Amino acid sequence: MMQSAYEQSSVRSNFFVVWNEFVKNMKFLMAYPIIFVFWAVFPIFWFIPFILQGQAFVGGLESASFAQIAGTEDYISFIVIGAVLNSYVNTLLYGMGESIRREAVQGTLDYVFAAPCNKAYVLIGKALSESVSSTIFAVSQLTISVLLFGVTFTLEVMFPVFFIVILLILGLYGLSLVLAAVSLMYKQSHDVSETIGYFFYIFSPVRYPIESLPSWAQIIGKLIPLTYALIIVRSIMLLGTSLTEMYWEIFALLIIDAVLIAAGFYMFNWMEEKTKRSGTISHH
Amino acid sequence: MSLKMCVMLSLVVNKSGEVFSIQTVNLTKRFAKKRHRGVFGFLRRNQLDRDVIEKNGVTVALNKVNIKICPGELFGLLGPNGSGKTTMIKCLSTILIPDEGTVRVNGFDAQKETSMVRASLGMVVGGERTLYWKLTARDNLMYFASLYKMQRAHAKRRVDELLEMFHLSDRADERLEDYSTGMRQKVTIARALLHDPPILLLDEPTLGLDPGFSRQIRRQIRELSEKHGKTVLLTTHYMDEADQLCDRVAFINSGNIVAVDTPNRLKARVKEKEIVEVTVYSPPADIEERIRSLLPDAEVVKLILGDEDKGNPSRIKIIGGAAEEHVGTVIDALRQKNVRIGSLNVGVPTLEDVFIKLTGAKLTEGGMQ
Amino acid sequence: MEKNNKDYRLREVKCPSGFTWANVKAELRAIWEANVKAWKIDFAYPVSFVRQLISPVVFMIPYLLYGLVLIGGTYSENLAQLVGTGDVVAFIFTGYIMMGFIGTAVWAMGFSMRREQWFGTLEAIYVTPASRLGQVLGMALHSTVHQGMGTLIQAVFIYVTFGLGLNMSGILPALLIFALMLFALYGFGIVIAAVSMILKEGWIVSDSFYSIMTILSPVAYPLTVLPTLAQQASAIFPTAPALIGMRTFLIYDYVPEVVGNVFLHLLALGIVWIVFGVFVFHLTDKYVRKKGILKKY
Ligand SMILES: Nc1ncnc2c1ncn2[C@@H]1O[C@H](COP(=O)(O)OP(=O)(O)OP(=O)(O)O)[C@@H](O)[C@H]1O
Ligand SMILES: [Mg+2]
Repeated sequence: MMQSAYEQSSVRSNFFVVWNEFVKNMKFLMAYPIIFVFWAVFPIFWFIPFILQGQAFVGGLESASFAQIAGTEDYISFIVIGAVLNSYVNTLLYGMGESIRREAVQGTLDYVFAAPCNKAYVLIGKALSESVSSTIFAVSQLTISVLLFGVTFTLEVMFPVFFIVILLILGLYGLSLVLAAVSLMYKQSHDVSETIGYFFYIFSPVRYPIESLPSWAQIIGKLIPLTYALIIVRSIMLLGTSLTEMYWEIFALLIIDAVLIAAGFYMFNWMEEKTKRSGTISHH
Repeated sequence: MSLKMCVMLSLVVNKSGEVFSIQTVNLTKRFAKKRHRGVFGFLRRNQLDRDVIEKNGVTVALNKVNIKICPGELFGLLGPNGSGKTTMIKCLSTILIPDEGTVRVNGFDAQKETSMVRASLGMVVGGERTLYWKLTARDNLMYFASLYKMQRAHAKRRVDELLEMFHLSDRADERLEDYSTGMRQKVTIARALLHDPPILLLDEPTLGLDPGFSRQIRRQIRELSEKHGKTVLLTTHYMDEADQLCDRVAFINSGNIVAVDTPNRLKARVKEKEIVEVTVYSPPADIEERIRSLLPDAEVVKLILGDEDKGNPSRIKIIGGAAEEHVGTVIDALRQKNVRIGSLNVGVPTLEDVFIKLTGAKLTEGGMQ
Repeated sequence: MEKNNKDYRLREVKCPSGFTWANVKAELRAIWEANVKAWKIDFAYPVSFVRQLISPVVFMIPYLLYGLVLIGGTYSENLAQLVGTGDVVAFIFTGYIMMGFIGTAVWAMGFSMRREQWFGTLEAIYVTPASRLGQVLGMALHSTVHQGMGTLIQAVFIYVTFGLGLNMSGILPALLIFALMLFALYGFGIVIAAVSMILKEGWIVSDSFYSIMTILSPVAYPLTVLPTLAQQASAIFPTAPALIGMRTFLIYDYVPEVVGNVFLHLLALGIVWIVFGVFVFHLTDKYVRKKGILKKY
């Protein structure tokens, strides 16, 4: 009896840790409305050149040769979906890395780590708040694209899309845990997340269909969770494919998620032990 | 000579017909109080800094400060946290533009002849990162030499000389990130001396250094003043540092200069037989009130909280009246409250006593390290 | 304790100032040393240094691959109708050079003062008699060369993978246009450097300007696909006219979408931006010293 009561309270206290961390991070975001507005609107500007480029090269809103490789003639929707999903990478990877780095700089990290709770829950709280805010940003960017560029899609695709986005977020959690671990050791965590960002941008079909890459590059692309998320979401939204038809890609995404999360937790615990011993947490 | 002429001259000329190294006239600086940015910022309230006059959201960091420092003088500016010391240094070094009043450094007006003022002084800020940690000591010094518009060959010689002087020669080509805090502080001081300026502004130069290093740095400062004839303005909140080092000391509190004099003459303002200092452990909060009510003729009764974990017990200071007659009363009062007494002292005023007597405010917790 | 034995006389200080040759030389040397310092600090972060070198390639690849997929080859019928040439590889490459240098002005120069704030050295720099503009210009020098190296890598990459056909006889006038553009861009960079010193979220300003300027520069499309208002706005930034001018000299069959004297246009922009930049820089210099926010970040 005692045992189960204890376990119950520990589950609750863990939940409380996650929740507190979530509220703290959301408050931080709300304290900087400019940053909020920036992420909700500005990523649009990063892909506008691609839409203009399409118009200059093709001369219309549809491209037959684009359809031969990408499956859809509607290159604008293709670009918009790529950009919006990619913004999860930006906000989650940078956001988590930043958030951990910020605590290290402010010197609160030692304090957080000294608290008698599992650090991973603190990180889950962070990840949760980052993904809620990322979703707010994504919805905002999508809405603006619908209004500005005439992108259209039906509302019922939103449920399967949301499901895939959650799978993407899970993979990114795992990756940001790895990043957090690295940033505890290696002081330029920004470097690492930026480099990973480069990889994603080049090897995933963010701006172009993956088939246009050389085959060796396609293999690298197939190791990135974003690649599958992009392929599945584009199929659902642009080609009307149903979720069940995409079982193979979904399966692959699940496997990658599992590997990344396991690696993330393992590395984080390991690095944490190591830094605790060498005492370099807050020397950033 | 017309009256106007006379007033003008008296601003810049001292009694022996010479000009002051540093002179401020009615120097005033106010800061708008920072409001927390952000949507929910208004919910939070900054804790009021009780040492500074605050009205209508304005902090008066310097209030009509008039100071004259002679060439070659080692002048100390002593005050508690937030009293305006750093603000003063920044106004003198042209980093801050004052709201009112004038600043003259080495005979140049800080607002009109800014770059000559900058060329006339070297500045050291203690306890902060003010160098490129990714560069070596030599690179740092050479870089700043170019900013002081020194010629390359001259700069090279000077840098070698300074590295030698601070015993850094053998580690001069290591990056500063691998240096200790004290060594970095030496590089900071060396940087201030690069262009051999007649005036040095030192803002808490020994902050965060261990006693050994602090002593070294203080010796060096003394030497710069005595051997090299530099004018030194030094801020500190270690009263012993000011006492040992300075020719003259100014007390600053809440942006006001309360007194300027030599340490000895300042201390003479408090009679030896006026002071009782008791060190106590875990005093109750109302002890100050209690003793004050028992000693109506004491001018000041002040409880200075220490940090017992760090071996710094709290102290009760009683200034004014007949000290020897107070002793019994104080011991009785403490006994009654079961307070453990560490030591009891009568006499020998310190600068801190003078400061407390003049302002009623305490100077600092603990003394110099 | 009291000292009466000191000689109470002010000491003369020697420091070049005003419009003298010695002073100009000293300021130029300060710029050069700021540039050297920037290199040294860059080498201390090797990962980031290399990443910056290859980033021109990384960010150009999407424009290229996407462009090629769009038209199923390297020749665009529609582009040929708009500007005479249908060679998208040459078109995108020339455009992308520009984008990299916009980044130089906006990020490297724009953050030069901020960087000193991060290092904690800004106040120490402020108490020296050298002009603070030297920091910005030194950084400009450094990052122009750094970016230039990246651009070379980019040129080699694109030559090897896609084959790049440029009219090399037009290289000299193109370089002249480029140099003129850099001046105007430097003026712009000074403005950003000044503004980012007083704004807490300076990177948002930089990123906004970067995005707006890339859209207004015809990096991967002719200017004429932009709305008329945007086309007019692009004339106040040097990149659009410079790009059109350089393409005229470098790309075979290219017919500029906007006609006008590129050299005069850039010269005027250069003067205006530099004067404006220095003006804004001095204003913020005063402002920052009044408010005492030199050290905040
Ligand atoms: N840039 C600023 N903006 C707003 N207020 C400021 C600014 N700089 C200083 N102040 C305020 O002016 C007052 C004097 O500060 P100053 O830094 O001069 O104190 P100080 O004597 O150097 O203290 P310390 O011993 O802690 O260094 C403080 O109340 C401080 O909060
Ligand atoms: Mg201070």
